[in-house]
Amino acid sequence: MAKILIVDDSATVRDEVGGFLKKNGLDIITAVDGKDGLIKLKADPGIKLVVSDVNMPNMDGLTMIEKIRGELGNNSVSVIMLTTESSQSMKERGKAAGVKGWIVKPFKGESVLETFKKLSA
Amino acid sequence: MANDKELVSKVLILDGSVEHFEKIKQFCDQNGLIGLKVNVTNVLSIMSTNVDLGAILLAENYCGSFHDSMELAMQIHSARPELPIMLRMESYSVDDLPAWSNHIFCAIYRIENLEPLRKAVEDYIFTLFYPSVLVRGINEITTSALSSQFKHLKVSNQIPYIVKDKIIFGEVFSLIPLESNWCRGYMMLQAEEQEILNIYENDDLWSQDHTISFRTVNNILSEVTNLIWGGFKSRFISDDGHRMAYYSQVPIVINHAHKYISFGSENPQLCFKYQLIDESRNHVIYMDQRFIFNLNWSPDDFKEIQASVDDLVDTGELELF
Repeated sequence: MAKILIVDDSATVRDEVGGFLKKNGLDIITAVDGKDGLIKLKADPGIKLVVSDVNMPNMDGLTMIEKIRGELGNNSVSVIMLTTESSQSMKERGKAAGVKGWIVKPFKGESVLETFKKLSA
Repeated sequence: MANDKELVSKVLILDGSVEHFEKIKQFCDQNGLIGLKVNVTNVLSIMSTNVDLGAILLAENYCGSFHDSMELAMQIHSARPELPIMLRMESYSVDDLPAWSNHIFCAIYRIENLEPLRKAVEDYIFTLFYPSVLVRGINEITTSALSSQFKHLKVSNQIPYIVKDKIIFGEVFSLIPLESNWCRGYMMLQAEEQEILNIYENDDLWSQDHTISFRTVNNILSEVTNLIWGGFKSRFISDDGHRMAYYSQVPIVINHAHKYISFGSENPQLCFKYQLIDESRNHVIYMDQRFIFNLNWSPDDFKEIQASVDDLVDTGELELF
């Protein structure tokens, strides 16, 4: 089954988002920051969708996406940002790195579930 | 500067005068002050609690005698030096005040003329202007963030207020920098650990799936802080503003009860321990220093600035150009 990688430094968010997606039949892996996200993605080719926060310690989400596309050369994995950030410049940077979608927290699972399912299929 | 009384400040009224009560109350109402009256025997215990205060209004005869009231002023000042004390004089004059009291009272007034008190309230309490749009916006952002994390609870708030004290409320708090071209500072969120734990312990659905510990509180507080920070940035810090608008931040969470501090990263911290040795008393004081590079650590790009190493000079030396 295709997997979703949730990258967020907040255990609360990992729990909330991961729990919701699991209950809805999706397979979940979690990472605590951008560096961890890169390692997990590299190790598991089954990951089809990355849902990532922007502001995280060690490596922020946008830097992680740029490295996924650049260093890992992975252009196939879909990426959605789930963040408190809503600045246009951040979104532009995300778009340029190939981010598919941008969700401003708090997370409202029901409204994005179908999209997550499609992107992780 | 207050703004249309959207902000208030709590002041401790140490004034037993029945005769002047109405006038002082009216002054408080007109100047955005919430007066709290306490019994003379409780004043010092109030000082040691977490009452957020903006100032103290003290009457010269509050303790019965002028001398005792001055003594109390000194004790209050020792306990909470950040709190401005405003003294109402009646029978005595400024000349009767002890010399040491010069730096204790920020204003001296008489009931017939409240202008010095009004000026002191402006100068010592409402010293910064907080735009109404900002105050209301923060309120809305925070209410929304709290509602999203405490879904089954109703969130409401009291009128925002100004404090001068430096007291920490609760055992656990978070800090996050707020930086823009119009502000630089921090937001702090404070809470009582057990109160939040109770919420989760009483939530059967939640407690079935989770282990509840003090870390639960830290995580929740951190996420609420993050949500508020994001909302604040989106609403009040423009893209074309300060360069810091583009930088990441994560909340710092401190829990006194568990001697715990988190910078959001699990990275090992670089620590130093220093000893300050008093050889004459054979006594050692220790100081701990830690470096926490939680947002970025790229030692490959590290280099020592060579010029500073080559040109090391003794401190205190005059360097002529």
